[in-house]
Amino acid sequence: MTDPQPETKPEADPGTSLDAGPADVLRAAAEDVYADELVALSAGDDRPRPPHWRLSPWAVTTYLLGGTLADGTVVSAKYLGSRRLMEIAVASLATDRALLLLGVPGTAKTWVSEHLAAAISGSSTLVVQGTAGTPEESLRYGWNYARLLADGPSRAAMVPSPVMRAMQTGRLVRIEELTRIPADVQDALITILSEKTLPIPELDDQVLARQGFNVIATANNRDKGVNDLSSALKRRFNTLVLPLPDSVAEEVEIVRTRVAALGASLQLPAGSEALAEIERVVTVFRELRSGLTTDQRTTIKSPSSTLSTAEAISVMTNGISLAAHFGDGVIRANDVAAGLVGAVIKDPVQDRLVWQEYLETVVKDRREWSDLYRACRDLG
Amino acid sequence: MDSTVTMESTTTTDLAVTTDLTVTTNLTVTTDLTATGPVEPLVQPAAPRVEVLGIRHHGPGSARSVARALDELGPDLVIIEGPPELDALIPYAADPELVPPVAGLVYAVDTPRRAAFYPMAVFSPEWVALQWALAHGVDVRFADLPAVHLLAQDHDESKKESGPDDREGGEEAAGEGSLPREPVAGVAQHRPDPITQLATVAGYDDPERWWEDAVEHRRTSSLEHFAQLREAMAAVRDPLPTDDPAPPVPPPAAREALDRDDDGRREASMRKIIRAELRAGRSRIAFVCGAFHAPALHPDTFPPVSRDNALLTKLPKVKVAATWAPWSAARLSYVSGYGAGVRSPGWYRHLFLTPEPEVVSSWFVRVARALRAADLDASTASAVEAARLAEALAAIRGRPSVGLSELTDAAQTVLTEGSELPLQLIDKTMIIGEELGRVPDSVPMVPLARDLAAQQRSLRLKVSATSTVIELDLRRESQLARSVLLHRLRLLGVPWGSPTDVGTTTGTFKEAWELQWTPALAVGLIEASLYGTTVHAAASARAGEQASGAADLAALGVLIERCLLADLPDGLRAVVAALGERVARRHDTLGLLQTVEPLARTCRYGDVRGVDVVEVGEVLRTVVVRVGAGLRAACASLDDAGAGAMRAAVEGADRGVGLLDRSELNTPWREALRAVAGDDGVHGAVAGRASRLLLDAGLIDQQLAADRLSRRLSLGAPAVPAAAWLDGFLTGDALLLIYGEDLLGIIDEWLAAAPEETFEDLLPLIRRTFSRYHSAERRQIGRHLRDLSRGTRPTAETEDEFDLARAGPAVAAVARLLGFPVSDLRGSDLPDDGPGLEVGPRE
Repeated sequence: MTDPQPETKPEADPGTSLDAGPADVLRAAAEDVYADELVALSAGDDRPRPPHWRLSPWAVTTYLLGGTLADGTVVSAKYLGSRRLMEIAVASLATDRALLLLGVPGTAKTWVSEHLAAAISGSSTLVVQGTAGTPEESLRYGWNYARLLADGPSRAAMVPSPVMRAMQTGRLVRIEELTRIPADVQDALITILSEKTLPIPELDDQVLARQGFNVIATANNRDKGVNDLSSALKRRFNTLVLPLPDSVAEEVEIVRTRVAALGASLQLPAGSEALAEIERVVTVFRELRSGLTTDQRTTIKSPSSTLSTAEAISVMTNGISLAAHFGDGVIRANDVAAGLVGAVIKDPVQDRLVWQEYLETVVKDRREWSDLYRACRDLG
Repeated sequence: MDSTVTMESTTTTDLAVTTDLTVTTNLTVTTDLTATGPVEPLVQPAAPRVEVLGIRHHGPGSARSVARALDELGPDLVIIEGPPELDALIPYAADPELVPPVAGLVYAVDTPRRAAFYPMAVFSPEWVALQWALAHGVDVRFADLPAVHLLAQDHDESKKESGPDDREGGEEAAGEGSLPREPVAGVAQHRPDPITQLATVAGYDDPERWWEDAVEHRRTSSLEHFAQLREAMAAVRDPLPTDDPAPPVPPPAAREALDRDDDGRREASMRKIIRAELRAGRSRIAFVCGAFHAPALHPDTFPPVSRDNALLTKLPKVKVAATWAPWSAARLSYVSGYGAGVRSPGWYRHLFLTPEPEVVSSWFVRVARALRAADLDASTASAVEAARLAEALAAIRGRPSVGLSELTDAAQTVLTEGSELPLQLIDKTMIIGEELGRVPDSVPMVPLARDLAAQQRSLRLKVSATSTVIELDLRRESQLARSVLLHRLRLLGVPWGSPTDVGTTTGTFKEAWELQWTPALAVGLIEASLYGTTVHAAASARAGEQASGAADLAALGVLIERCLLADLPDGLRAVVAALGERVARRHDTLGLLQTVEPLARTCRYGDVRGVDVVEVGEVLRTVVVRVGAGLRAACASLDDAGAGAMRAAVEGADRGVGLLDRSELNTPWREALRAVAGDDGVHGAVAGRASRLLLDAGLIDQQLAADRLSRRLSLGAPAVPAAAWLDGFLTGDALLLIYGEDLLGIIDEWLAAAPEETFEDLLPLIRRTFSRYHSAERRQIGRHLRDLSRGTRPTAETEDEFDLARAGPAVAAVARLLGFPVSDLRGSDLPDDGPGLEVGPRE
C-alpha cells in the first residue's frame, strides 16, 4: 500500500473484534476506544434516528467534532476541521446515498470513515480493503467449496462478504481504497448501491438490504487513474473532498493529539516537550508541500512525496520513540531528523536535490533551526 | 470624513461609489406592523389604525409577509419608506414595461452627481407593497426625509455629507446584520446592531443567518408576526434615545449626535406624514419601512408634534428631480462592492417566485441545466439526490428550511463530485443573477437619456448587465455609427463601452469594444445632460469645455483625436480654435511637438470622416513653424529625463510630418532637425535621434553620419553622453550597423579604448541599446565584429552563397507581380528554360 497512513489503517481484521477483549491489541477499534462517549451520546440523544442508526445525525456530528454533552460528558474531537464537511458526510449517509471520501493521502479519510461507522452502526469492522487483487467475492459472496461439493449450492454453502453482511444486518460497510480495486470488480457495487439488492443468480435468490445499510468508500485523488471510477459508479456516490489542514496551528494540533494518543497505545513515555518540535516538522512539511516559505518570500521546489499530516504524525512518533529508547526522553532535532529525511526523500535522486536545496536555502538561514540543520546534514 | 472627501472629489467615474453608499438606505430591515389591536380600546369601531410593517430591504420573506399582511389588513393607504419625491414615479410602476430590478433615482438638478438610488427588486417588500397598492387601487405614497433636504445637506455641510449614508449603513446593520459595510459606514457601529443583539439572544453567532431563519424562511407570518418583530426591535432600541431627538444624556461624540439627528429627522418626517394622513381621515394605514424604524412609527409612541417640527425646520433645500433607472442583479449583491446589498439576489428571486414545495427541486433543476450548458455532466437523478441531501443537511443543521449554504454544499457533493470550480458558474448566473431592469419610455427621462435610448434602438446595440465584446468594421456605415456613438459617450464620461484589444489585425478599420451597462452610468448620463439634449450636441459641448479648460497643449492634442473618432466637427473646431489660440501664446516647444502628430493625423484622415481640415492644416503649419524656430533652444540643457521626453516628442512629430509629407511642413521641420543634429551642445539622446532621422530620410549621407559618430565617440568626449547619443542614433533598424560602412568599426574602437571604470559605466547603456535588436541581427553584428578583430574586412555581402537556381522561381514570381517580362529574367539567369517554378539543375 502506498497510502502512508499507517496509524489510521484498521489493522484489526473483523475476526479480532469478535473477541475484542484483550487489552494488548495494538490498536483497538474506534467503537471500543470511545465506547464511553458513544454510550453517553446515545443516552442523552432524544432526537429522531434514522432506522438502525445507533445515534441521531446530530449526535454523530457531535461525536466527530467533539463537544460537551448536557450531562457533562466531554466528547473528544475526532476530526479537527470544517464542521460543514462532517455535516455533509452525515447527511449523505442519512439520505441512504453512498459516501465517497476523497483526498490526498493522510487527510483522515479512513479515520473519518471508521468513526462514522462506529457511531452510526456501532461497529467499524465491516471493511473491504481495496487492492489491485481484490476479487469480486470480497464485494459479493464466496463459496464454501466443501459444502458446495457435498450439498450443492445453498445459502448454507455461501461465504458472505462484509458488504453482504452489512446488507443483511442494516449496518455500514467501509470500502478502503476504492480506486485500487479493478474496474470490473468495482462494477459489482452498482446494483448494490442503486437497487440495494445483491442478486444470487446461482440460487435464483437475492439479498435485500435492510434499512441502515450504506457504503462509505475512501479513495486517494493523488494517484488518480489507477482504476478511475466509471461515471455510472461515480454518480451513485456523494463525493466529499477532505482538504489538508488550513493553518499551521490546526495542523500542529492534529499532530499533537494524534501523537499523544499513539504514544499512549505504544506505551511510549509521555510528557515529552514535543510541541516545539511538532511545529517545526509541520512547518517543514507545509513549506515543502506548498513550495513557498511561510514568510512568503522564498519559492522552493516541492518533492514528489505527499507530506501529509499523517506522515508528520509518524515522523513525530518515530522521534519520540528514538528519544525514549536511545536518548534522555526529550525529543530533539536529532531524533526527528531521520524520520523527516525519510518522509521527504521518496525518490532518491530528485527528492534528495530538493531536500538539499531546502536545507541550504531555508533551514540554514534560520538561526534557531541550526540544530536541525546540523542533524540533517550529518545524515547526508 | 472619508465619504465626504470622496463625494466632493469624485469625477464621474467614481460615481458608482457615491451612489452605492446612498443606496443602502433601502436595504434596511423591515419593520413590523404595529398591531394596534390590543392598544386600541374598541370603543370607536372606526378608530384609525396604523400598522407598521418592519421589513428587511430585499428580503423575500419580508416581501411575502408584507403581501399577506396587506391582504389581511386591507388598508386604505400604503406608505413606503422613501423620500416623498418618489411619489411622482408611482404611476409608472403600474406599467408592465417597468421590469425590476429598477431604482428610484433622485438627483439634484443643478449637480446631478448628488444622487440617491432606491433600488427595488421583484422580491423587495417595497416593490411588493407598491404593486399591491396599485393592483388594489389603494392610495400609496412615500415617506422619509425629503430628498430636497437630504441632497442639500450633502451640498451645504460637507461634514454632514456622510450623515445620511451612515444612517443607511446603520439601518443596514439593523436590517441585515452581518452585512459588510462600506468603510464610511463605520460610524454605524457606534450603535449596537439590533439584529446582532437579537441573534445573540437567540443563540446564533451569525446575525444574517438568524434573520434568514427567523424571518425570511418563515412563510407563515403576518400582522402578528410584524407586531412581535416591532416589540423585539423596540426592546433592542430601548437603550437608544430613539424617539427623543434631544437625548437626555449628551452624546459622547459629536459624530454620534449627528447620526441620531439624522435618525430623528428621518423618523420625524415619516411621523409627519402619518399625522397628516390621520388628519385626512384615513382609517387603516400600512407603513412599510426598515425594521429598525418600526418602533418609532407607531402612533402610541409619537413624541409631541412640536418636537418633530423643531427637528424639521430650517433644513437646507436644493432642487431635485426623480426618475426610474434600470438596476442590475449584480448591483444588488454585495459582491460588487455595494455596501448594503444582499448576498444572493438570484437565489432570493428564486425563493420569492417559486411556490414553496418546488423551491429546492426546481433550484437543482436549474443548477443541473446550467452545468449541462457548460458541458458538465449533471443528470436528473443527481438533481433529485442533491435535493434530498439539501433537505437532510437542513434538518441536521436545525434550520427551518433549506438555505443557500445547504444548496451549495449539496450541489458540490452530488453534482460536481466534490469540486468547487464548476460551482463558480452557478455563482454568477444563478446565485447573483444577470438580470437588468427595464424602464419604459413613458418614464420622465432627461432628454439626453431619451436620445441615447433612441440611438441604441436604431443601432441595435443591446443594453446588458453582462460584459460583451463587439467587433466593429468601420468600413460599414452602421458599424461606424456604433463606434461614433461609443466614442461620444466616452467623451461624455459615460463609459458604457471601453476599447479592447482587436486581436492580431493591424488594420485601422477594426475596433473592438467591451460593453457593459452599469446603473451608475444612468447618473453619468444625467450629469452629462447638462451639456446638451442629444448625445451629439452634448459631446460637442463637452469637448469644447474640456478644450478651454485643458491644462496643456498635449491634452488638446489628445482631445483632437477623440473628437475625430467621435465624429464631432463642432467639437473639433472648438478644440482647434483653442489650440490655435494657445499656440500663439505658448512657448512650450515640447507641448507643441506633442500636438503635431494628432494634428497631422486629423489632417490626413479627417476629410475621410467629413471634417473640414483646412483650419486644422493652418494650425498645424503654425505649430510646425513655431516648433522649427524653437526646437534647438528647447533642446539645450536637458537632463536625462527631459531628453527622453523630448526624444519621444521629436519622434512623434517626425512621424506626423512624414504622414502628410507636405513641403511647407517638411522644410521647417527638417531645418530644425538639422540644427539639433549638428549642435554638439544638445543632449546626446536628442541629437543622436535627430541625426538618425535625417539619415533615414536621406538628408545627410552616411559619411557625415560616420563623422558625427566618430566625433561624438572620440576620446575627448565624455563616455556616458556618448552612449546616449549612440542609443538615439542606433534605435531602430539594425541594418544600418550591419551594412553601414565604418559605423561598426568606429563603435568597436571607441568601446575597446574606453578605460576600465568608464567601460563599467557604459556597459549597461550599450547593452540596452543592442538588446533591442533581434537575436538574428545581433548574431550578424557579432560575426562582423569577429571579422573586424581578425582584420578581415567584412565582405560587402556574400553573394556567392546565393543559390540562384533556387531563388529563381521566387524572383520570377516577384517580377511577375511587379509587371516585368518574366521570361527574359528566367532566360538570362537560368540555364534551364523550364516552367520557372521548377528548380533547375545547379550550374
